[in-house]
Amino acid sequence: MGRASYIRKRLFLMVFVLFGVTILIFSMVHFLPGDPAAVLLGERATVENTAILREQLGLNRPLFEQYWLFVSGLVRGQMGTSLVFKQPVNELVLSRVPISIGLAVYAMGIAAVVTLVFGLLAAVNKGRWLDQLIRIVFMFVLTTPSFWFGILLILVLALGLKWFPVAGFGATFQEHIWYLFLPAITLALQLSAVLIRNLRSQVIHTMGSDFARTARAKGLPERLVLLRHVLRNAVLSTVTIFGLQFGFLMGGTLVIETVFAVPGMGQLLFTSITSRDYPVVQAITVVSAVLVIIVNLIVDISYSFLDPRVTYE
Amino acid sequence: MFARSTRWLTVFSAALGGALLLAACGPAAPTPPPAATTAPAKPAATTAPAAPAATTAPQAAPTTAPAPAAKTGAPVVLRMARNQEPGVFVPWLIDDNTALFTLANVYDGLLRVTKDGAGVEPALATKWETSADGLTWTFSLRPGVKFSDGSPLTSNDVKVSLDLARGGQRTVWKDNYKAIKEIQTPDPMTVKIILTSPHAPLLSELAMFPAWVMKAELATATDVKGYDDSQEWASKGTGGYYTESWKKGDPVILKRNPNYWKGTPQVDEVRIEYVADDNTRVLKLQGGEVDIVDFVPFSQIDALNAIPGVKASKFLIQQTTFVILNVTKPPLNDVKVRQALNYATDKEAIIKSVFFGQAQVMNAPIPLGTYVDKNSPGYPFDLAKAKALMAESSVPSGFTLPMVVANNNQDRVNTAIILKDQWSKIGVNVDIQQLDPPSARAATRGEGNFMASPSAWTNDMNDPTQIVNYEMRGGEGSGSFAYWTRYNNADLNEKITKADLEQDPAKREAAYVEIQRIYLNDAPLVFIANLGATAGWRSNVNGFLIDGLSYYRFEDVTITK
Repeated sequence: MGRASYIRKRLFLMVFVLFGVTILIFSMVHFLPGDPAAVLLGERATVENTAILREQLGLNRPLFEQYWLFVSGLVRGQMGTSLVFKQPVNELVLSRVPISIGLAVYAMGIAAVVTLVFGLLAAVNKGRWLDQLIRIVFMFVLTTPSFWFGILLILVLALGLKWFPVAGFGATFQEHIWYLFLPAITLALQLSAVLIRNLRSQVIHTMGSDFARTARAKGLPERLVLLRHVLRNAVLSTVTIFGLQFGFLMGGTLVIETVFAVPGMGQLLFTSITSRDYPVVQAITVVSAVLVIIVNLIVDISYSFLDPRVTYE
Repeated sequence: MFARSTRWLTVFSAALGGALLLAACGPAAPTPPPAATTAPAKPAATTAPAAPAATTAPQAAPTTAPAPAAKTGAPVVLRMARNQEPGVFVPWLIDDNTALFTLANVYDGLLRVTKDGAGVEPALATKWETSADGLTWTFSLRPGVKFSDGSPLTSNDVKVSLDLARGGQRTVWKDNYKAIKEIQTPDPMTVKIILTSPHAPLLSELAMFPAWVMKAELATATDVKGYDDSQEWASKGTGGYYTESWKKGDPVILKRNPNYWKGTPQVDEVRIEYVADDNTRVLKLQGGEVDIVDFVPFSQIDALNAIPGVKASKFLIQQTTFVILNVTKPPLNDVKVRQALNYATDKEAIIKSVFFGQAQVMNAPIPLGTYVDKNSPGYPFDLAKAKALMAESSVPSGFTLPMVVANNNQDRVNTAIILKDQWSKIGVNVDIQQLDPPSARAATRGEGNFMASPSAWTNDMNDPTQIVNYEMRGGEGSGSFAYWTRYNNADLNEKITKADLEQDPAKREAAYVEIQRIYLNDAPLVFIANLGATAGWRSNVNGFLIDGLSYYRFEDVTITK
């Protein structure tokens, strides 16, 4: 089929998936009990002022009309107005997307480095003390809840050693890198734990295959056997998991964003759900869906670079 | 097999070391916070006496930070972290506490609440008088008041703001100003308010946030349908600070108003950032990254005070916590059952374990504002009496009580758990149902398909009329069905109406005390505690205050070495 037409086909299918996503999220969020007007007015809500606010916010219109407004706006690139912040949702959400993506990329970058280093180390030292140590440490990392792990890092590295700030986002690009290091590494270590197990077992398996033995028989040093031949073959399933994790990070960084006060999409999604800010919830879901689809597409395409035998039907 | 595993270790250690070195040599900006904020401390202290004089000096461009007080060095910045972001910046459209508490520093009303919240004092109006029939109130405006952009305050600004609050297209606070028939401005320094009937709470209502004064042009602009609300972030009032703009996700920046009628505040700028997680907020304070935080968990107050350089405390505010009972659902329709639940509640125990001692037992049915029943007997913890009441009631062998709890407030969840234990002793089996906040709210309002739910209330005004009408008035037209308990006592409703109309303060106080006694006896709520608002700050910050209505006040804050 060819790579280009494969990409075109996938992007075309994306439209249908998004349409389904809008129907799903719209119905879910509107059938939840709870009234955004009552949430906004808080304890002071009386029957009268709640009714006035509902009318002002356009919440009394029939559901079908509200859905139509949502979708027609989406097609034009406008995602409505936030009920809570009275700001256009476009600005609210799109200003946060780069932050969440940046954090995800940062985390996955660190995860990639950590996985390669420790996965390979564990694989080549299979059974020895280094391998056991790596596996135990990452087991510990995997089993601790992320918010606890994050606070632990804050206590040690931020308050104790003062190497990094406690929380926040910073103002300049340089500051962003500095502020996001702790949240990124919290995410990265937990994701790496799974990736390392996978890479380790794949490398061990591939090291014993025929072509590896052939390479050794030809006199290639072990290091080159590993890096030039084994790794490229072993890494395929790890890349799949890597892609899945990356997709999960689109919107799945809520806990980390809350603990480290990073103004990303996850935090906005959470506050919007608890205040029933429908336009924002819908918008974030659609944006996340787009990002997940694109990331998965990139991962699928990357196979063809890693493994020349892959073709697209 | 692969003997040179150590090589990988060195490579990785080098990489890690490099990363940490990069981090260590990162931007120095946020690191030594005390230095940055205390650098100008000496100049600030010595020019303090000059400040009042400076406000009458020629006002150069008021938006530049180094204003009249001839300060050299960096501006004094107060950094605050708080638990929520504000929503809207227009006084009569505000419906979220976060915006309110901050914007009390940006706007003023004709009057303001006293620091202890028990009464009102002059703000933009210096004196007022009533006509003999109580229908016309004449307010004299304070001379020389300017908005933060330098333009003078006139009675027209007051009229336009108040008219929008009570009748604008987008206001949600019409109800509070029903009593006002018309506002007149005979001259630029006088405002005449004409009422439909004599209305004693008028002064408190004018001190409430919907009555804050905005510049007339800005105010009128906000009332157009389709108005871009993000423009309102450039809020200019007569208060100690103003804002220039705000984008969600950015910190709120309050800039000092050099034209402030009370005198120039010491702090040039207040930066308020949003840190949702309680622990992280407190850690930022400890680490010196911020100077003040709000909503310090009760459990951490003592621990913070033990750390050098940090202080934490609660400010007693007009806030109460209690359990709402649906009096239409048996057996809660039996007053003996409700009284038994009150007697069976060990409030001291709840205050100790949930609020870590930072609260007081609630004896009167309303918060500690004006005309609260100071001698109210309340319901002292008495298990024997509770059991006796249950024995006489319609359910002597006890019953199951489902309790709806909003799961975002750990204090309420903990209170529910303790009540479950305490009430089991009189045969009441509490079934806790945790719901997310909007669902919990929908359960208690709306159809009212609930039996019990813990709740809390903060007064918006010191005058009891707001809470008494919200909490005790029942039936159609009450707006809140007696705090959603569906309690409806026609006789009490009448007494409340009379008390609202009463003009003589002594008679009014007596009327409200009687109302509170009757309501206390009928016990549609289980009364628990009077709460405080907590905050923590670095020891070099002085003068921060949370007043009785929970407004954060920055005008008297000074930062010392």
